[in-house]
Amino acid sequence: MNFNMIRLLVLKDWYLQRWLIIGSLVGGAMALAITVLTGKAGFFIGLILLVTVLVVEGAQLAVSTVITERKEQNLAFVMSLPISYREYTMSKILANILIFLVPWALVLSGCLIILLAAPGAVHGLVPYVTIMGAYLLVSTCAILCVTLMTESQGWATAAIIVGNVGFNAVGYLVAHIPGIAATMFGVRVLWDSTSIGIVLAEFASVLLLLTLTFLVQSRKTDFL
Amino acid sequence: MTTNTDLAVQFAGVGKKYPHFTLDDIHLEQEEGSIMGFIGANGAGKSTTIRILMGLVHQDHGMVRVLGHTMPHQQAAAKFDIGYVSEDMRLYRTATIDWHMRFIRSIYPTFDQAYAEQLCRRFDLKPQQKVKGLSHGQRVKAALMLVLARRPRLLVLDEPTTGLDPIARQEVLGELMQVLSDERRTILFSSHNTLDVEQISDSITFIDRGRIIDSGDKEGYLDRWRRMRVDVPPGVSLPSLPGTIQKASTGRITVLTTNSFDPAMTALCRDAGATVHNIDRMTLEEIFVANVASRREGVLA
Repeated sequence: MNFNMIRLLVLKDWYLQRWLIIGSLVGGAMALAITVLTGKAGFFIGLILLVTVLVVEGAQLAVSTVITERKEQNLAFVMSLPISYREYTMSKILANILIFLVPWALVLSGCLIILLAAPGAVHGLVPYVTIMGAYLLVSTCAILCVTLMTESQGWATAAIIVGNVGFNAVGYLVAHIPGIAATMFGVRVLWDSTSIGIVLAEFASVLLLLTLTFLVQSRKTDFL
Repeated sequence: MTTNTDLAVQFAGVGKKYPHFTLDDIHLEQEEGSIMGFIGANGAGKSTTIRILMGLVHQDHGMVRVLGHTMPHQQAAAKFDIGYVSEDMRLYRTATIDWHMRFIRSIYPTFDQAYAEQLCRRFDLKPQQKVKGLSHGQRVKAALMLVLARRPRLLVLDEPTTGLDPIARQEVLGELMQVLSDERRTILFSSHNTLDVEQISDSITFIDRGRIIDSGDKEGYLDRWRRMRVDVPPGVSLPSLPGTIQKASTGRITVLTTNSFDPAMTALCRDAGATVHNIDRMTLEEIFVANVASRREGVLA
């Protein structure tokens, strides 16, 4: 594995996606400000905006770094460089995840800080928000996985839709798990085994999805 | 005698099957320092062969070696010394030419910045210009500039002149002629435009319907192929002439196409009672068309 080439390809994607990164950072910061500064109604609008920023960024990233690269015939240029397809896949996974992690970390840590530090904030929501934040990471990895494996706009769109619908479904289901439901609107942060188990399962899913993507892609024989 | 180590490109028994196309039993050898024209109609298998050469498509069977590397497994090492430009390759439209130059320079320490800038001037490319503002011809020239400035050992050009206007085509071919002055440089140039190939190649390979149908040095082709116009009086039959691949008669006049011309053929015809009126050299395009037509008719099968 040529890690220097992978690094250069990741930097290339960072450069080409710089406006998306800047946009999501600005959008995330504005949504956080709305959450904190505009009262109860603003709090919920801000939360919706925060989720929107992350969902849009995750979806847009996979589409523009994989589908657009193929559609605009840049793939032949990239694959003419001294890399194997395994290195190409590794660079795409790393670039997408690292780019997504920047606003994701900002938004999630911002939300958690608000929940813990803002006057009158419901501290008990911390595990729930962490679970939902981690879900967005899983969903983004799943979109990337489908996009890389199929290289199809249609399948990518289907994955984005499933991810969005899944966010609402997971949110509803997690909120109704007895152990979480009982404490989520409390004044104390309570991490029970269920909450911890869900978060660990989510991070395990991220690893599984990325490993699966890498292994399946490594077996491909035709790239153009 | 050519040893394996002198070969820049070597295909042995290579095949690739798709639902509606099969690349079949490709044997191809190209010596280092040579310029091979790879000619075929659209859909003949040129791009598939080149993609296999680059490791971008894996062959189902057969052996491919490029610059001593086994493909596709050693493609990363091989591609370090290969410059590849294809008609369907595009640079990043939102980035500038200068960004592409810096990107390529960060990968290849051999990238010659001064030569790149010189090529930009010659091709009338402005480094600060974004790729999305370039014409098709400028995009091809920009891709070629990025490749040439690396000074790769093997240049693989897949239909680089397709879609270019005559001026841009001449500029691209002119630059390639300059590159050819470096005798260590090997070039594989695919095209369906025989005129372009004829200008720069010293050997020719024809491909049709997924099979290599002929391969040899260009001058040899031009020397061997002839079209003869023969007057055959009634009651006279032409002798069997070697290498005859096409024969068309109208009245007393028979037009023969041969791929093994020998001046002694004139005497053979005369001895049989026929008169040879003309012996015409053929252009590469005429040779290609006749070759493909005869293969498809099974004359040379």
